[in-house]
Amino acid sequence: MSGSSGPEGRPGLHVEEIVEAEQVVGERAQEEVALGEKERTGARGRRALTTAAWTAPGAVWLLFFLFAPVLMIVLVSFWTRTVSGFEAVWTLENYEFLFDSNVYWDQLWNSFWHSLVIVALALVLGYPVAYFLAISVTSLRYQIALFIIALAPFWTSYLIRAVAWIPMMGRRGALNTALQEVGLIGEPLDILLFSDFAVTVAMLQLYILFMVAPIFFMLAQIDRSSLEAARDLGANAFKTFREVILPQSMPGVVIGSIFVFILTMGEFATVRIIGGGTVSSVGTIVQTQVASVQFPQAAASAVFLVLAMVLGVFVLLRFSNLREEL
Amino acid sequence: MRRGRWTKRILAIYFVLFLLFLYGPMIVMAALSFQGPQGAVTFPMRGLGFHWWDQLVNGPRSETIRETAIRSLELSVVSGLVVAVLAFSLSMGYRRRFRLDGVLFYLIMLALMTPGILLSLGTSFLWRYMETETSLWQTALGTNVVWGLPFAFLIMVAVWNRYDATVEEASRDLGAGGLRTFREVTLPLVWTGVLGAFLFGFTLAWNEYDRTALLAAGENTLPLEIFALTVGSVIRPDLYALGTATTAVSLIGVGLFLLVAAIVLRRRARGVSEPREEYGELAGENGGGLAAGASASRAR
Amino acid sequence: MPDEQTVTQREGAPTAPSRTPSGTGLELKSLTKRFGDEVVAVDDINLHIAHGEYVVLLGPSGCGKTTTLRMIGGHEEPTSGDIVLDGQSLLGLTPDKRPTTTVFQHFALFPHRSVRENVEFGPKMHGISKAERREKAMTALDMVGLGAMSDRKPSALSGGQQQRVALARVLVMEPKALLLDEPLGDLDRLLRLRMRVELRALQRQLGLMFIHVTHDQEEALSVGDRIVVMHEGRIEQVADPFTISNLPENVRVASFMGDNNIFEGTVTSHEGGRVSIDGGDAQLRALAAESDARVGQQAVVSVRAAAVQVGEDARDANGPNQLLGQIEVVEYLGDLVKLHLAAAGRRLVAKVPGDRFPEFRGREGSSVQLSWKEEDVRLLRA
Repeated sequence: MSGSSGPEGRPGLHVEEIVEAEQVVGERAQEEVALGEKERTGARGRRALTTAAWTAPGAVWLLFFLFAPVLMIVLVSFWTRTVSGFEAVWTLENYEFLFDSNVYWDQLWNSFWHSLVIVALALVLGYPVAYFLAISVTSLRYQIALFIIALAPFWTSYLIRAVAWIPMMGRRGALNTALQEVGLIGEPLDILLFSDFAVTVAMLQLYILFMVAPIFFMLAQIDRSSLEAARDLGANAFKTFREVILPQSMPGVVIGSIFVFILTMGEFATVRIIGGGTVSSVGTIVQTQVASVQFPQAAASAVFLVLAMVLGVFVLLRFSNLREEL
Repeated sequence: MRRGRWTKRILAIYFVLFLLFLYGPMIVMAALSFQGPQGAVTFPMRGLGFHWWDQLVNGPRSETIRETAIRSLELSVVSGLVVAVLAFSLSMGYRRRFRLDGVLFYLIMLALMTPGILLSLGTSFLWRYMETETSLWQTALGTNVVWGLPFAFLIMVAVWNRYDATVEEASRDLGAGGLRTFREVTLPLVWTGVLGAFLFGFTLAWNEYDRTALLAAGENTLPLEIFALTVGSVIRPDLYALGTATTAVSLIGVGLFLLVAAIVLRRRARGVSEPREEYGELAGENGGGLAAGASASRAR
Repeated sequence: MPDEQTVTQREGAPTAPSRTPSGTGLELKSLTKRFGDEVVAVDDINLHIAHGEYVVLLGPSGCGKTTTLRMIGGHEEPTSGDIVLDGQSLLGLTPDKRPTTTVFQHFALFPHRSVRENVEFGPKMHGISKAERREKAMTALDMVGLGAMSDRKPSALSGGQQQRVALARVLVMEPKALLLDEPLGDLDRLLRLRMRVELRALQRQLGLMFIHVTHDQEEALSVGDRIVVMHEGRIEQVADPFTISNLPENVRVASFMGDNNIFEGTVTSHEGGRVSIDGGDAQLRALAAESDARVGQQAVVSVRAAAVQVGEDARDANGPNQLLGQIEVVEYLGDLVKLHLAAAGRRLVAKVPGDRFPEFRGREGSSVQLSWKEEDVRLLRA
């Protein structure tokens, strides 16, 4: 198809000439890249050494304090229990014991399901916050200030934040008192402390920032003129959100979901503090097994915990792919 | 614009509620710590005073609390330093591509993803297997650094992304050697990022429970002490006082960092006259370079 | 929800033979935009643009040209004034309800969608069926020569290709007015030169109203039917390219267009359609039949660099419109030679044809005779 007086007299650009101009411009750029590439290969040897020197300390630290311990858990789960701990004698006993334990499977399923619920809640409640910060607030200064205010609790102890829910949640806690004052309830609610509900609310408060931050960063990267372009092309505010903003924030949603899922799945201290003795999780089970020197069993429990996490992450990733297809 | 105005208002109200949700419990806790001697762990406030703060400093538990607080402070500072050094050095490596960069990156992200209780458990296994006693300064320090490292690393990567490497070439050009360039040009431009890395290492260790739990070998840190006080005994308002105090330490740390970052940014911004732009363009582009907000350390 | 009327207006193949939309065109009435209390970005602008006209808003950064364009597109609300298209006010209409579309400076393509989906976006928003919008999109893409790349993501395209996608994306909408915000700003020079010709040709074929914002004088002269020169929120001059270039109305237009030698002085006589001006070391005489300049008044005049005759071309040695100048820099630009001169205690610029370069090569420091014709001296409004 070429130009104004094309075969059918249709309007259009003189594409050949544009392409020619593009090629002249493009070829020059490629030559420069090629030259740079040649230059780089020359000094490769020395640079590799420098890179190795820079990365080695961190890598060694992570191998010893992260990779080796995780590996140890897997190994110990196949080893035999002794009075003082474990010995390197291979066995499947620990897993056999776990498979017979209904309590464990119930708990694992509970934790898994509970974490997914928290992920969903964090997403629904956290997305508007990220949207407000990244899209509604247009002054960069306010954006930074509000983001820091929203993020500051991340730097405070989650243990303390869990403790702080106690005066809020108790039978005579702030929430019950407030609800009674307003007249919504006559009697104080018992479900507020030492319950699944209490644990859910507390965990939401502890970990929602891990959802807000990645979504915020994705939203903040969206080119504002692409939103204007969408409006320009006839999308109303809602369609602009659905067609342009939401799809571009999906990576943040997935990353945030994975964060929240993993962190709540492995949670243990909050469950103890807020849930008291009545609520347990895989984390508390592992803790109990450790306390009674059942190390190999604790290891086997931990392995399944990790497997459940991997499964959860897989599910979340699938979810995002599905959404992208639409 | 009109269309967005209502959405914006509703979202602003929602944001305030969100902040209440985040901060409310801590504010209630702080308020309850200022009760009289008859004070209980829930409302209503019984009397007013510094009784429980006094308990915290002079009461029967004060000895242990002071001891663990100092120990925690030391551990956190050292953790922060190690995290800053390791993250900086790792990120220096990542300024170029190398063969195992993908593998190492996943290892760093694994540090973020591994639940603390598992890391604690695995590490205790490893040391038991090596027939070595775990200890605060060898073992717990190790796992605490693992927790801070990925955050600090991501900050440093963000800093390098905004860093114009040609200033180093310029420095070499003007006659500075490799080491000199590093000291005179590179470090001054990225040190706020390194400070941010230290801050992450410090606060994460200061607040960490799970990753220390099975490893401290009797030398309790403050979070361990707080957990013991919460779960192991009757809760009294002095725990709220302690919680308020540690939260204050964390927030002061963050505040100091932001102050330094703001001063540095202002000093850097001064004297740089940006070309006057179209107001419309300005309004349109404000949302742009945002990631800077997190680390507040642009290296322009 | 899409406005029904708009949809029907936009139906029909985007590449149908050009038909100039009927109507009275676009009218800006006392258009004003303030940001905060102090900044007046656009100050009481009045302008009429007809259908089928290619108008360029030209001016330096911050002159209000982009803000004006954004108000037409609905991305800014005017503080006061009105925008009327074919007798209907656009005020209060959100961008999606306006029959205008914009080509944004940095293209603003949707990075998460393929090239074809980008072009389909507009029709999709207007509820056009899948098959039909696909066909429209492909036709528009063929029009800009990107039919073969329809499945790629924008990030896989070169800058020039992205720009063409942005063009296809708005053309598919058949807007009543096409708004272009520095559309060539992100392109390499060679491509920019090519694309501006293409834009011009395309506009002729489509017969659409194009409103093009740029700060590039040459680009404005090249594409526009009419040029609107803006400065600090106000319109300085509205005229066709030839007039803007040769007959600038005031000092700001003359100096912004560049390559104008501007003299200040006092009017010494005004008779027989000629105005004489004493500019200190330079004496000037202008042919200005319509001027109301009075003797003793301050006056500003400009002489185009291309109108300055140099060396052997100079005829008369000691009259008005004559100067002795010293060459400071000889700048060879291929088709022409630009001489930077010192004369009458100030700097002047003269342009001579490129084939005279051998004559001036290496002659920095030597003196030459400068002169210009009366009709080339333009009396400016202050």
